[in-house]
Amino acid sequence: MSSIENRKMTTETIKQKINLRVADCETREQRLGTIIGWTGKASELSELSNKARCGGGGRRECALCEIKSPFTQGSVCSEQMVECQAGNVRNAVLVQHSPIGCAAGQPMYNSIYRNGLAIRGLPVENLLITCTNLNESDMIFGAIYKLHQTIQDVYERYKPEAIFISTSCATAIIADDIEGAAAEAQEKFGIPVIPLYCEGFRSKHWSTGFDATQHGILRQIVRKNPAKKQHDLINVINLWGSDVFTPILAELGLRVNYVVDLATVEQLAQLSEAAATVGFCYTLSTYMAAALEQEFGVPEIKAPQPYGFVGTDAWLREIGRVTQRENKVEAYIKREREAIAPRLKELRERLKGVKGYVATGSAYSHGLISVLRELGILVNGSLVFHHDPVYDSGDEREDSLKHLVENYGDVPSFHVSNRQPHQFYGLLKKIKPDFILIRHNGLAPLASRLGIPAAPLGDEHIAIGYRGIVNLGEVVLDVLAHKKFHEDLSEHVTLPYTNWWLEQDDPYILAKHPELIEQ
Amino acid sequence: MVTNIKIDSKEIKQTNSINQVRFGCALGAMYSVAAIPRAIPIAHCGPGCADKQFMALAFYNGFQGGGYSGGAVPPSVNAGEKEVVFGGNERLEELIKASLKVMRGDLFVVLTGCIGELVGDDVGSVVSPFQQRGVPIVYAETGGFKGNNFAGHELVTRAIIDQFVKDYEGKKDELLVNVWSLLPFQNTFWRGDLAELKRILEGIGLKVNILFGFGCKGAEEWKTIPKAKFNLVLSPWLGLETAKHLAEKYNQPFFHYPIVPIGAKETSKFLRAIADFAGLGKERVDEFIRKEEREYYYYLEHFADFYAEYWWGLPAKYAIVGDSAYVLAVSKFLVNQLGLIPARHIITDNPPEQLREFIANEFRILANDVSVEVNFVEDGYLVRKILENSDFGHKPPIIFGTTWERDVAKRLGGYVVEIGFPASYEVVINRTYLGYRGAFALLERIYTSAISASA
Repeated sequence: MSSIENRKMTTETIKQKINLRVADCETREQRLGTIIGWTGKASELSELSNKARCGGGGRRECALCEIKSPFTQGSVCSEQMVECQAGNVRNAVLVQHSPIGCAAGQPMYNSIYRNGLAIRGLPVENLLITCTNLNESDMIFGAIYKLHQTIQDVYERYKPEAIFISTSCATAIIADDIEGAAAEAQEKFGIPVIPLYCEGFRSKHWSTGFDATQHGILRQIVRKNPAKKQHDLINVINLWGSDVFTPILAELGLRVNYVVDLATVEQLAQLSEAAATVGFCYTLSTYMAAALEQEFGVPEIKAPQPYGFVGTDAWLREIGRVTQRENKVEAYIKREREAIAPRLKELRERLKGVKGYVATGSAYSHGLISVLRELGILVNGSLVFHHDPVYDSGDEREDSLKHLVENYGDVPSFHVSNRQPHQFYGLLKKIKPDFILIRHNGLAPLASRLGIPAAPLGDEHIAIGYRGIVNLGEVVLDVLAHKKFHEDLSEHVTLPYTNWWLEQDDPYILAKHPELIEQ
Repeated sequence: MVTNIKIDSKEIKQTNSINQVRFGCALGAMYSVAAIPRAIPIAHCGPGCADKQFMALAFYNGFQGGGYSGGAVPPSVNAGEKEVVFGGNERLEELIKASLKVMRGDLFVVLTGCIGELVGDDVGSVVSPFQQRGVPIVYAETGGFKGNNFAGHELVTRAIIDQFVKDYEGKKDELLVNVWSLLPFQNTFWRGDLAELKRILEGIGLKVNILFGFGCKGAEEWKTIPKAKFNLVLSPWLGLETAKHLAEKYNQPFFHYPIVPIGAKETSKFLRAIADFAGLGKERVDEFIRKEEREYYYYLEHFADFYAEYWWGLPAKYAIVGDSAYVLAVSKFLVNQLGLIPARHIITDNPPEQLREFIANEFRILANDVSVEVNFVEDGYLVRKILENSDFGHKPPIIFGTTWERDVAKRLGGYVVEIGFPASYEVVINRTYLGYRGAFALLERIYTSAISASA
């Protein structure tokens, strides 16, 4: 069988796996064989992922083994990802069907929502997430009546165009009929009322929450049989990043439809009318993009992610091919490469010999490492929060890890660790980078205490495309200057770990030898 | 489920819904643990619970930071389907063992979340063998459905007292006081405030178990709780449960003073009252107060030039939204020290029903000539409705509140001073608004906000 046929077959098998007929979406570990603990080289992980794919379509019978430690620090849950997506849709409301603790996510996603709106030039406002606020007696007698009440409240208060409902560990355990309540409300108010199954214990990795949100949007908001097609519209699946896609795609005569965060309900509805779908990170976009292609025939751009020259070239060319704009693409590539050349040369000189480390979500890390290497920065280590051996399309061109290893070389110290600062200590001790790139909170504070500055990429688009290479270089220069602060601090703090732990050379020692905790 | 709250002559509907949350859940008391030096919380809960409480209470709330044992540091079971279906006892036991191997702490506190409590995990039976081996570890059942982090705080405090401090028969120290006041991390300024509080109490001759924050000596200090002559509850209601428990357990009386003092007037009054309760010598107390007031009024005199003759107008009417302790404390200062005009007082920390009338009465005697009614509301949507329906007179109001009030303040053309959770547009290190020294930080914050927006 040729590799193209093979690829097609894999795609077909996986396609059947996105099932929009049911209200809950399969978790990442079920669909993709996702793991949250692993240690080795990037090239090994890439090979094992490939084997896992061939063995079982990248699912249950996974050839890629996860290592589990008896010691774990707090992670992040799927419901948080639902808050940060469904809770950040303009003119929609997210109802959290939960005790009040889940609502503690509101301040964080509000702050991000406000600053996200600001960098996009949209009116700044508080988010509207509303919690059903369940108490002890609700746990005994059931809480569905409170869900009805809160749906009624948010409808009367805000007249939203859609209402999302997130589940919680508590409401999943007491087995409230959320789907029934949603259907009833949808009938009553005449707007989509969408249950999102995202209780934290359901999946070992929070990215299932992205999928849960996207699943609900695909089922109940996206127009089923669009009357028109918008041939110049490109869906961009992203978060709150600044508008860097418009200037790029405008060069090709294309418009941008940013989803899910900061989008309106109408912008979500028109997803099915677009000419193609892209994303800034396959971790985030895999489910939505594959489903849009499967259900609505909107092609997903199957290419490396737009990071570094190699990735950006291929990504643009694939967009050009799918939207029949090949000529414009070539002219644009030439112009942009020339435009950034002088500053890039300067940056490469200034960054020579600098050692970087990337600790972010999975596919995003693959992209960022290529950009750092374009800048001439040494990247010998990376920590990703999880690893998907395959994305939902099953298409090899989206294999972001393989793309990294083949085009930019191996990463000798490559680790999957679900936001575990105690492991990060050992990793940093070994690599001793000059700076780290991070996105989720939780690891930079540890790096700081070791004297290592972190650049938090709040604007996730900063490293996209050709200009992204230069942008990231500037960010690195800025953050290297912070080193003084962190070095000073590192001389005056005590870490909360035992000497035994601090002396270990292998951060995965407890995962490999759990019996050590008995000593 | 639906109740009505009275706003002036109107009634508005209050349901179970909460938008714009203004506290964490009982598990948020992880941060009461993290506030004790070298105490480490262990969370027996889902994968996201600990992170949510952290990001809310300690990050997007003044960016206080997790310190030694907060943030992403606390061990957590990160319960999955297995723990839900088969129970989480074994996993918790494994995590505790691993935590003792990896974490360096003087006191470990296991806090349970919703999952463990709903599936019926017996945390006590997991923890007690460790206790019997002499491990400094306690547990508290803080499932999120049990209430907010104020409730969780008293559960955790009690767990530490009953399971770690334990019984005591020895002598009391006549000058030692245990302080139960602001809720760590929930109150954005608790670190600076507790430091100032310790300073002034020591100033009048007391020895102080401050129990949380930098001035606390950690688990060792908690061990001395039973030695104290009495407990100070410096807040409208938080800490009363603990104080009552201690009264029974260690035969310690408590002194309840609801007004967290800001400015010289309130602070001196408070110090005289507690000195009287503790039976301290008048001379030392008077001397300390005299010295502090001299300094206070030296600075206030200079500030008076600005306050008396700044040209471009200063806010006159204020509204205030937040936890009982700060709403009362700040209002007292605004009305009595500055002569501002109160327009609206909204308390959002969900005080126990039986204490609400007591709290409301404190506002009826805000000053000799000022009596106001207070609203108890938890839902931010209603807070906004109430503020929009308030009479602020002829000029833009100043709103003391949280990040949630930024939109309504803008709409009313006024200013917001973020004094409580969540304060996501304030960076707070050890700033205090309490006592003699804190009052000036508050003045600086208020009037810098007002005039920097003016041109």
